[in-house]
Amino acid sequence: MRFECGDLDRALSTPELMAEAREHLKGCAACRREYRLWTEISAAAKELHEEWESPELWRRIRESIDAEPKPKPIWWKEWRTWAIAAVVLIGVVGLAVMRPWGRATGPASPESSAVELNAGNRDFLTEQALKEVEKTENAYRQSIDKLSKLAEPELSSASPVAVNYREKLVMLDSAISETRANLDQNRFNLRLQTELANLYQEKQQTLRELLTRDQKN
Amino acid sequence: MEGCKRGNRRAYELLYELHAARLKSIAFHLVGSRADAEDAVHDAFLKVYRAMDGFAGESSLSTWMCRILINCCYDVLRKRQRQAEQPVKTEAASESKLPLKLALERALERLNERQRIVFLLFEVEGLRHSEIAAVLQVPEGTSRSWLFEAKRELKRSLMGKSA
Repeated sequence: MRFECGDLDRALSTPELMAEAREHLKGCAACRREYRLWTEISAAAKELHEEWESPELWRRIRESIDAEPKPKPIWWKEWRTWAIAAVVLIGVVGLAVMRPWGRATGPASPESSAVELNAGNRDFLTEQALKEVEKTENAYRQSIDKLSKLAEPELSSASPVAVNYREKLVMLDSAISETRANLDQNRFNLRLQTELANLYQEKQQTLRELLTRDQKN
Repeated sequence: MEGCKRGNRRAYELLYELHAARLKSIAFHLVGSRADAEDAVHDAFLKVYRAMDGFAGESSLSTWMCRILINCCYDVLRKRQRQAEQPVKTEAASESKLPLKLALERALERLNERQRIVFLLFEVEGLRHSEIAAVLQVPEGTSRSWLFEAKRELKRSLMGKSA
């Protein structure tokens, strides 16, 4: 290809053409001037950075921030989540244990019947409470599955944002699987149930953030 | 950032000390006056304060703040347009006689918005294309292409004046 003056712009955006362009520049004063200007623009641009003292600006910003309602500290939210989860679980289990449900167990001595009845009721009712918790968890999981489907196009993108979200979700999924596996060993463990609920909540929040991040940021 | 999320004023002051100079310069080139630039930076910091709790960290804090600032600059320009107080720009008698810096400032005003912002962020403020892409929420290649278009337009404009 014969390099002509009109090719200079193309060469400036295509590094492979720059060798030919340099050859052309040796013999063309007009293009040399144009090329010099191209490099001078970048150098001159650095001088356009504007700096000046603004002694009042931070004071103005601080006053405006002081006039704003104070944000709630992060620990407050975590504390609130734990407290709500704990109160709900204690309430459910407490109510279940105290409800006067009976179970016929056949002939036995009055003392042993009473003990057996109480133990039987507690097991049965705790099982009931657990079923409720598991039902709620299923509903939560279905809602998260729906959100995950909605977020699929966003997540499949190659952008750094999508990569970050994917990594976070993988971590959450792994923590959820681990907690679920532990719960399978000990289904009545309140701490594990609360932990699982928090993980689901975190996953739901992450998916919501991903779906609404354009509005937020 | 954690300090800011807790509402710690000192953390915000540090944030200001770290970013204000660059943000003021960007705002100055977008709104055209120091007073308006300071207003835009003030508004941007207030928005950062209000939104900090929801900042998920998917972009860096500086690119997030830069994006907020650019929106604040547009708000300042819209407000100014509504109040019809846009200062009349004085045209130079002959731009070819101006030093390159001044001629470049004038030529920049004639670029379209996207070319101007990319040129300012890359050439003037030294942001990388990956950062500009995050600020403007466009692919990195688009940022490169807009910068090339901007420089080509500036070159044409300056060549035309000096021809």
